[in-house]
Amino acid sequence: MEKILEIKDLEVRYYSDRKTVRAVNGLDLDLSPGKVLGLVGETGAGKTTLALSILNMIRAPQGKIEAGSISFAGKDVLSMSKHELRDMRGKDVAMIFQDPMTALNPVLSVGEQIAETVLKHEGLTKDQAWKRAEEMLLTVGIPAERSKDYPHQFSGGMKQRVVIALALACNPKLLLADEPTTALDVTIQAQVLDLMRTLIRDNGTSVLFITHSLGLVAENCDEVATMYAGEIVEYGTIDQVFGKALHPYTQGLFGSLPDLSEATKRLKPIPGLMPDPTALPAGCFFEPRCPYAMEVCKAAHPKDIDVGGHLVKCHLFDKEGGAGRKA
Amino acid sequence: MSAKKEKTVRGAEGTPILAVKNLKKYFHTARGNLHAVDDISFDIAKGKTLGMVGESGCGKSTTGRLLVRLHEATAGSIIYDGQEVTKADPAALKLLRTRMQMIFQDPYSSINPRHTVANIIGEPLKIHGKVKSTSEYEDRVKELMDTVGLAQRLYDAYPHELDGGRRQRIGIARALSLDPEFIVCDEPVSALDVSIQAQILNLLMDLQDKLGLTYLFITHDLSVVKHISDDIVIMYMGQIVERGPTEPLFEKPIHPYGRALLSAIPIPKLNSRKERIILKSEVSSPIDPKPVCRFAPRCIHARAECLASDPALREVAPGRFVACHFAEEFV
Repeated sequence: MEKILEIKDLEVRYYSDRKTVRAVNGLDLDLSPGKVLGLVGETGAGKTTLALSILNMIRAPQGKIEAGSISFAGKDVLSMSKHELRDMRGKDVAMIFQDPMTALNPVLSVGEQIAETVLKHEGLTKDQAWKRAEEMLLTVGIPAERSKDYPHQFSGGMKQRVVIALALACNPKLLLADEPTTALDVTIQAQVLDLMRTLIRDNGTSVLFITHSLGLVAENCDEVATMYAGEIVEYGTIDQVFGKALHPYTQGLFGSLPDLSEATKRLKPIPGLMPDPTALPAGCFFEPRCPYAMEVCKAAHPKDIDVGGHLVKCHLFDKEGGAGRKA
Repeated sequence: MSAKKEKTVRGAEGTPILAVKNLKKYFHTARGNLHAVDDISFDIAKGKTLGMVGESGCGKSTTGRLLVRLHEATAGSIIYDGQEVTKADPAALKLLRTRMQMIFQDPYSSINPRHTVANIIGEPLKIHGKVKSTSEYEDRVKELMDTVGLAQRLYDAYPHELDGGRRQRIGIARALSLDPEFIVCDEPVSALDVSIQAQILNLLMDLQDKLGLTYLFITHDLSVVKHISDDIVIMYMGQIVERGPTEPLFEKPIHPYGRALLSAIPIPKLNSRKERIILKSEVSSPIDPKPVCRFAPRCIHARAECLASDPALREVAPGRFVACHFAEEFV
């Protein structure tokens, strides 16, 4: 099947006076049409940098995509002209940002913001665009008479629904949802995700769902990729990864979570911290924190190993296929 | 069950160290009185953890701040170990603050960026005259750093050199510096990544075992609160809508809001998707609310009675307190 998104060997760096931050390191990622891929990882893993790279929005001069390729629906995003990029952003590829408070323009009414986008991309008249804006607001449960209200007149949950309406207004092929519900309360989160799922299913949109919550991944995604220190360390279907996580880091993430169904007395945190992205280890990036680290982990950076279609970047799975180790 | 008549939040053992009765806090705004905390009562037994959950703006943090008197209560009483906190004079309050401490949510803004780690942890020792010499001071600060797992090489470091997890350890060390008995933990792990969050939760639980601490643990993260608490109160718009022991409450919440809230928790397991109760609309205004059930506008079971009067918190099953006119139907 033709992939909607194909990322190969992506390298993104941020430069400061003395230091170079290696934010994304040789990352490969594919996404099939209509699929929802959950991208999990902790603060600083490079999740947002990856999403911004897909839109070719890494800000120069401090940030730069140094190597690799990103192809969206067969087109090379990194060699697109400014004009082509502007056509793609907001139309074919839309993004939902984490914080609805800052993602909206405070001096335009919510209706105007949506109308502006469809006016730009869909070639409608002003009246048609306004009508479309009202329809979109209605789809996300905001009555049309509120379309002339400004963002500050809405609650957090409603603002995020406006952001969703804005992102989906042009029927994008790919939606980048960067922690879309992190700023919301759980009951509102449930409302918003319920709505997002319906809209995505109806439009057949592919989604890169960025989150730090494994719970949200389990309930909303088809596939999952774990990101650590700028690379994907594990990739598989939900059944594969939640059935049996292979990478020690993914296992560590699961161990860190309190289990609602069982009374665990002690959590099993991952010792230590994420490596400094300005001085990454020569071998496996997770080796300093890994309970299974071996000599080879210090010396050589692991490659992706295919364990029945479930990819894992770990030396434990070289040759022996993970013998002698339990999930 | 013998404790039926008592208003204790079911500590299996131990007497309540803290008793809150009819506590209210109203903030004056241009549009009227904002009822941040509206007539709540609960106890915490010594050595236990009371988890307080609810969504943003429900009055959790205000309650925590009232207990250590960072806010002045509008009405009601807070009895800590026989002493009325709301009426304590400055000298008595200073003494009380050595016994009651607080850990704040945001380890980035709750510590002074211009002070060294040692200074931040040790300042309470100086203010309260707990140490007599410089060497005693240094020893005590180092001991505290050990207790919370901060390396001693960070003694002279500044907060900006440290990550969120270590900063939160500073906040914990500072709260422990005066050997308190009771700590209000206001979202202590919300700003942290899961792997770090687990480290801090383990630390707080170890400290409780070792030092016999009593916690009020405020959070919006329901899996965290279940993990750490003996008893739970669920707040909604300034009121307690449900309270009871953790296990049965999570097993089967009774209040319609409690049930919606718990059903909304995403579970990181395969096929764990359960019947989710999706609530209508959002929280209504907390400014001069009408004397009706505040949850009624979002409640799928709401009836005429719900808009006629404000339900009181009452015991509907042993140890289970619920503020709902029709609680019996949901038991």
